[in-house]
Amino acid sequence: MTLDALLGAILFDELQDVDAAHAAIPVKCTAGLFHASAAIIEPIQKDRVAFIAALRPQHSIDPDLILKNKKGGLHRKFDNAFTNVLNAYPMLTAPALTWYVEGDADKIERLLSPVEFVGKRRASGFGQIRSWGFDTDELNGIEGVFGEPLRPVPVAMFSGDTSHPVVDAAWRPAYWKAEHRAACYAPSFI
Amino acid sequence: MLDFFNQNFGRYLVEQTGRPARDAQRALSSGHKMRKGGLPQRIASGWAIVRPERSTMQFELAADDFEYSKLTRYEAFQAELDSWDGTPRIFIEFDKKPVPVNNLFVTYDLRAVRICSPKGCETFDYTKPPEKDGSKTHRVIWKQRGLLK
Repeated sequence: MTLDALLGAILFDELQDVDAAHAAIPVKCTAGLFHASAAIIEPIQKDRVAFIAALRPQHSIDPDLILKNKKGGLHRKFDNAFTNVLNAYPMLTAPALTWYVEGDADKIERLLSPVEFVGKRRASGFGQIRSWGFDTDELNGIEGVFGEPLRPVPVAMFSGDTSHPVVDAAWRPAYWKAEHRAACYAPSFI
Repeated sequence: MLDFFNQNFGRYLVEQTGRPARDAQRALSSGHKMRKGGLPQRIASGWAIVRPERSTMQFELAADDFEYSKLTRYEAFQAELDSWDGTPRIFIEFDKKPVPVNNLFVTYDLRAVRICSPKGCETFDYTKPPEKDGSKTHRVIWKQRGLLK
């Protein structure tokens, strides 16, 4: 989870527009690459936690949104059985998350301060933040003190230690988009 | 990533429309002519290794642009990793459900091998022994190599 991704998500909640949210991220950006590291986490415990999602199909879907059959009509048979889906997630317990970033400190603090939960299962009470702290530092959010990548950086844009493995990773928001993936140097904790 | 997939795999199966994600998804989820004849079928079993030149797969389609192999997925992946030439690969395991485009990842380095499947994407370091709760593919290949009991 890079800090620009987190800030972009907070801004999207406010603006309800993906492009506007990305344009408003208060972080230095060079050729599409945000100067914001991935979250650095040192877990004191690693575990897994499972969730059961109870799917309850309903028939209130707009028919225009449903894929038509070969004759152009609606499929009339649906499986409306109640279904439970089990999903397991890795769970890390850590005293702190750290990001390095180059940007507008005041705006970043304003956006982050109200955030109480981060991560995939924040709506279930995981990823709770006790408090936010802000310090100044020399790192630019892209390379660490030994030249290691602090975030996914496309191979052509990386000037640090190239002994790290090259991986296929999204390097700019929206990070869920497969089109935004490229051969990158990325931190081992991603 | 999607360009690599479409250039070396998808374009032999579906017409390219300039929308990489949609083209890749159609290649993975639509029906294709089979070598044995009959109705077109979706690739619903076997494996594929996408290479910069000629890709290999197990499921025998009518397309002549692939190499076809009868090796098991683990034998094929092991052979590929053991003879790695440093160029990119995509390792795919097919199943009844189509592989979502978001589960496709290119492997560039033996230290971060990605095995893509409908369920997700396994990642492992092929230069190190598998961890106890690590990737199944990693453990099976190391067993095949006689390095794991």
